[in-house]
Parts: sequence; structure tokens; C-alpha cells
Amino acid sequence: MAGEVGLQSDVLLEGTARPRTLHLKNLRRQWQILSLQIVATVALITMYVQVVQTYVVGSIDHTILFDSIELLISDQLPLGDWLTGEGRDGLSRFFVPMVMGLSLGGAMAFIAFQSPKVQQRIKLGFIIGLIVLLVGRLLLSWFAGMLFEFDLRLPDESELETLQWPLLMILSLIILFIYLLPVIMGTRGIWGLSRRSIGWAIGFTLLFLGVHAILTFPLIKGQLGSYGGALASLESQSSDPTIGLFGLNLVTKEQFDLILIAVLIMVFQEASYGVIRNLEYAFRLPESCKRDPEYVRQMDNVLNTHLRHTFFFLGLTGLATMVALGFHKVLLTIVSDTTGSQWAGQVSESIELTLTYGLVISALLFLSIMAVLRFFIPWQRVIGLIQSRGMKEDAKPASKDFTQL
Amino acid sequence: MWTRKAAFTFTGGIALVLIGMMISNQQMMILGLSLVAFIVVNSWIAGHGDVEVQRTLSADNLYKGDDLYVELLVTNRSNRKTQMLDIYDNIPHEMKLRSGLNQMQLNLKPGESARIRYVLRCPLRGHYSIGPVSLRARNTFNLGVEDMYVDHHSDIVIFPQIKDIEEAFMRSRTPKMYTGATTLRTPGQGSEFYSLREYVPGDPFKNINWKAFARTGELMVNEKCRDAVTDLYLLLDSRDLARIGTVLKNPLEMGTVSAASLAAFFLKRRDSVALAIYDEKLSYLPPDTGDKQYFKLLSALAGVTPKGTMPLQAVTNSLSGRFSRGSPVFIISSCEGDGTVPAAVRDLVGRGHEVTVLSPSSVDFERLVSRIPRMSYEVLKLERQNRLTTLAGSGAQVIDWMPDMDLSQALMQVRGY
Repeated sequence: MAGEVGLQSDVLLEGTARPRTLHLKNLRRQWQILSLQIVATVALITMYVQVVQTYVVGSIDHTILFDSIELLISDQLPLGDWLTGEGRDGLSRFFVPMVMGLSLGGAMAFIAFQSPKVQQRIKLGFIIGLIVLLVGRLLLSWFAGMLFEFDLRLPDESELETLQWPLLMILSLIILFIYLLPVIMGTRGIWGLSRRSIGWAIGFTLLFLGVHAILTFPLIKGQLGSYGGALASLESQSSDPTIGLFGLNLVTKEQFDLILIAVLIMVFQEASYGVIRNLEYAFRLPESCKRDPEYVRQMDNVLNTHLRHTFFFLGLTGLATMVALGFHKVLLTIVSDTTGSQWAGQVSESIELTLTYGLVISALLFLSIMAVLRFFIPWQRVIGLIQSRGMKEDAKPASKDFTQL
Repeated sequence: MWTRKAAFTFTGGIALVLIGMMISNQQMMILGLSLVAFIVVNSWIAGHGDVEVQRTLSADNLYKGDDLYVELLVTNRSNRKTQMLDIYDNIPHEMKLRSGLNQMQLNLKPGESARIRYVLRCPLRGHYSIGPVSLRARNTFNLGVEDMYVDHHSDIVIFPQIKDIEEAFMRSRTPKMYTGATTLRTPGQGSEFYSLREYVPGDPFKNINWKAFARTGELMVNEKCRDAVTDLYLLLDSRDLARIGTVLKNPLEMGTVSAASLAAFFLKRRDSVALAIYDEKLSYLPPDTGDKQYFKLLSALAGVTPKGTMPLQAVTNSLSGRFSRGSPVFIISSCEGDGTVPAAVRDLVGRGHEVTVLSPSSVDFERLVSRIPRMSYEVLKLERQNRLTTLAGSGAQVIDWMPDMDLSQALMQVRGY
């Protein structure tokens, strides 16, 4: 038995094909990793679009801010309308800025993988470019003026006016950057494998939602006057549900959009952090393990599961939230259908149930029941049964043939 | 058990729900409810540690400095996936990973197996146990974690290193002291034929001469000549003082290496070797020869740890009755902190034993780990030199063994005293 144990060896193949390894270079091109990154990116974009559509467009979007600034300075901002989205309607105002944000995030991710020397050079180039953009024209005209006039003097008014354009340009870019922060940082985080950037993207979105929620609180909104009136606020009372399952209408369109935002935030978070977590694990492995087919196989298993669970459990989370929000209606429908009593109808007209806290209490009740059901329904066994039926054929082949490798 | 992430998610969810209710904001409530729903849904499925573990080692015994190849086979015996399972094979902290890794993150399908292979370097002698296997089951989103372990151990003995000793170095001033086995014309345990005699109950069957039985009709057994061997006695100092120095370089480590090497050398020549280890008590292995004795000696040396303050004279007094007349005695000791050494050596020499003192220089070992002022060092060295000269004056051959000196090189000094 002792003689059977040997050194780990690489899988040797003849020909041009190479064995799969867990080196980051290879792993980053693996389909599961790419799929998770694409899922995270799609979730990020969709979440951003949903948030913008629900809260920003038409009320506090960047074009309105640009218009206000242009009115204030009685001049056009340096950024072109085609770029900022001014003059367009609705969500289309965000299309070009979003593409810019994605490109900028992608570029930042690309830079993150360059050598420190290259990164330093790019940063230096950026800073110098910014300085030249800001004071280049001023210095040029000022020094040229002094040189031709043989006079040592401070810059005059016309020369100082050359600062206006770069300052407005930088201001516009900063405004766009703030609006696009979740997209830029999210893209950088997903493709540049940066936890901090993902944290920024999620944190900024949640911060925006929080600040918006506080500002739209009736008492504060009233204090804000006309500014408060521009804020898009959600109704605290839910209307009749239109979206549901199996003929039961559970949530309104508005609620569904809000659930979508919540679930997409989680999809973005879990998919992007999952990629980083698994790549970190692979990175920490010693060289011999990175080449070991067993580690490669198990990494495949882990990634496949992560991908499946991202869709399955987060989809289920969305469904559970939907059912939770419509739970009181489900209960009342069941009572009404089974007993035919008027009590259900009377209760459904009760204002307490349509108010938010009525919703929340019934929703939490539903979630509590679901949590407790875990102890009564053997989910593990049920899932095991399904898995064992599905996996019996897969589990047997331990070796991989040439094409699989 | 919930992870920190799960706890934060749940708390955050409840907080958002409550704040949302306070300020009548649906987005906050829905976000909070979604977070709570995320926790609830994920609690339905959890990983498990229902796996079978089988560990295979390349050897059960090996020498200090050798590599040990370990293979851990993990098989999922349950009917469902393990989910995210971190496997960690606990290895003694004295061993170092040379290749591979003793852990793996896996997700085994029902009936699926995974092999973890790694190589350990064993830099320290001793009795060790690899295991248990720690398992940590997590769900995909790292919301729940459960720590388990499989109580599977593999025992291993790391023997002291065996150094080559050249025969020329072992020559004594007394001619033919270490002659190895010679046959005597008297019956006894040995290998050469002596005579035939009648079978008596209790004789081993393997000694029956079947041809003689066929010829005479009576059971006859072969008698062998007794092999006369030199009985060699090794006295190893394992007192607490022997730990001076680093983990890898200290008088005890060098002592075990030299004892093992000397034992290997003499046993190879079919001499009998006895070993006495003295620390807080005396452990004595009577003289014997052969592979079994070699294994016993190495096992005993593998388990030696520094402790106690037993003086050498107590050892010699209790063992002198068992020493064969005129047999060589090797004392492996730093000779520090034991005032009875000169008397014990004098006593042994007086009884006709050829005494060799192999003394690792504890002053120089101490210098490896702590800064000794030059003057103090010189004084300590002088004291040590005087002590060794006294022993040499008692008739023993004394070897002053420096930390950076090889054993065979040290043994060359025998002629010097």
C-alpha cells in the first residue's frame, strides 16, 4: 500500500493540447468564471437601470443638473449633448454615459492587471494630462504674453478666462462620475477583481437609496419645498397586485421593480464576490496543486455549484419575497375560497393590511414559517434524492479523456 | 452556525424593514425583506461532512530529514452533494509541507471521491500522529458554516538520522576491541553448525534435521555454534540540560544521531548493542543483535525527550552488574551539570571497560541561541576543557563534539586524547 503513493505529477499529454491548470491566467478564461462575471455585470447594469428608472430619470438626473448649471453660467457646458444625454427623453439620457462608465470601469480593471511600473506611468500621465488641461492654456498664454511684452506681471482677465473651460469640463466629468459611480466601480470590481470597488458600488447604491428614502419622507419632503417636489417618491400604500404566481396576484408592478432591484444587488454581490473568492483560493494554492487534476476537477464542481446556486437561490429569494409581500392576500383568498365567509372580504378592506406595516408583518410571518418549515420538511433528503438520481451517472468517470482535458 | 456575513445580512435586513416602516418607505422594507428571505432560503440547504476518509502513507517509519508521501482519499458516502467542503488534514507542527497541500476545497457529488496528495518533510525525530481530518461545510454564499472532524489518525515514527561511520575511525588503542561476531566452539545461538543431538520437547521445529530423522527414525535437531559478539553499551544523556541550543541543533539531537549511527554500525557487524537512556528515570534496552534490536533502538531513540536530572553515577551503579566484562561503553553526554561524571567514568574504567565519552559542546550550542560575552565564553570553554581533561585523565577516550562538526569527523578525535 505504501508503494502506491507517489509524487504528484503533471498530466502529460502528447500533441499541442495542454492540461488545464488553476493558474489565474487560465482560470480567468474559464467559462464558469466568465459566466459569473457576465452575470454580475448584467446584474449591475440592470440594477443601475432599474434604480435610475425608478428614482432618477426625470426628477434628479444629470441632464437636469447640467441644464441648471448651464442656466446659472449662461453658457453651454464643454461636454457635448450627445455625450451627456441632454435633449433626450427618459432612460435614453443614460445610455451613452453608461457606455462611458462601463468603458472607464473596464479600462480601470485593465490597468489594475498591468505591472506596478506601467500603472505608475499611467497615473503620472493622467495627473500631468489633468494639470495641462486645467492650467495649460493659462500658462501658455500668460508666459507668451510676458515674453512678447517683456513684462513681468500677473495673468490678466482674458488669460484667466481660459481657466473657465477646463474647470467646467472637470466639473461636468465629476458630476458624470458621481452619477455613474456604481457602474464604474462595479465594472472595475468585477473585471479587476477588487472587493473594495464592489463594496463602493453596492455601498453607493444603498447610500443613494437611503438618502432618497429619508428625503422623500413626507415631513422632510415638505421642508424641501420645490426641490422636494422633484423627487420621485413611492406610494406607502400598495395598490392592487398585478403580478403573481399560479393565478394568485401577489405584488404590484412597483413592488416587483423594487424586489428586482434588491435581488439584482444580491446577484451582483454574490457573483462578483464569488469570482474573487474562488480566484483567491486558486491563487493561494501551491504550484503542484494548481497542476493537479483533482484540484482542477473540484474547482469545476465548486464553480458549477456557485453558478447554479446564484440563479436558483437568488431566484427563489425573489419569489419568496414576492410571496411574502402577497402573503396576506393569499391567506385571505384561501379563507374566502374555502369558507365563502364575508370575514375575508371585510379584513381585506382593512386599511391596516394595505398599509406598509401590515404588509411587513404578514411578510415576516411568512418568512418565519418558511424558516421553521426547515425543521419539519426534510429539504436535505429531498434535495439529496434529486441529486443522487441526477448524479449517479456523472459520479462514476473519475478519469478525463483527451478532449476533456 | 451562521457566519458573520449571515448575521450582518439578517440584522441589516431587519434594520431596513424597521427603518422602512418608520419612514414609510417601501424600497427599504422590500430590500430588508429580500435580505431576510435570502437567509431563509439559504438555510434550507446546508453542506454535510458525511464523508469517508482513507489516508495512505509512503512509510510508517522513516528517518529524520526524509520525505513522507501522504495521500488522503475523501469519498462522499451520502446521497447528496457535500456542498462547499473545506478538507484539512491536520499534520504535526514539526513537519513541513514540501510539496502539495494538506487541504482542499471541494464539492463532492454522491459517491464521488477526491484525492489530496502532499509531501511532508520530517525534520525532527519523534513519534507523531497525522490527523484528525478537519472538515468545514459551508453553503455557496458563505452564510452558514459547520465545523466537523473525522477521527482518522495515522501514526508515524521518525527515527534519528543515521550517519556513516568509517571503520578506521572506530579503531581503539586496544587491539581487536570491536571485532564483530566470531564463532566459539560451544553450542548456543549462532549460525554455524556445531553438532546433532536428540530432540527434546521445546526445541523449535525449524531446527529438526529431517534427513537425520529419515535415516535414524528418531527426531534429531541441529545445534549451532555460539556466536561470540562484542556487547556495546551506549549511555545517552537525556537530562533537561540536553535541550540547550536550537530545536534542530542541541546536545540531545546530536546524541540521538550519534547513538543511532553507532548502533547501526555495530549491529551491522553483528555485535550486540545495549542502550541506556537516562533523564528523570533510567530506560534500559538489554544488549541484543539483529534487525529487531535495531528497530527497538531506533524507536527508543525516536521517543527521547529532555527531562529530569539523573546523575550518571546512578546509572552506572545500577547497570554495572549487567555490563559484560571488558565491554566498551559509550557515554554520550555534554557532561554539564553533573558532578558525578568523573567518578562514574573512573569506576567504569576501573572495572575494565573501554570508556569513550562523546561530549557535544553545550557551551557552543548555547551560543547558537543566546549571546554569550566573549570573556564568559572563554571561561566556560576553559571549564569544559578542564572537565574533559579530567575525564581523559581517568582513562576514558574523550571527544569534544562541536555543533558544526560531523559525527565521523568528531570520532577522529578519539586518537587525540
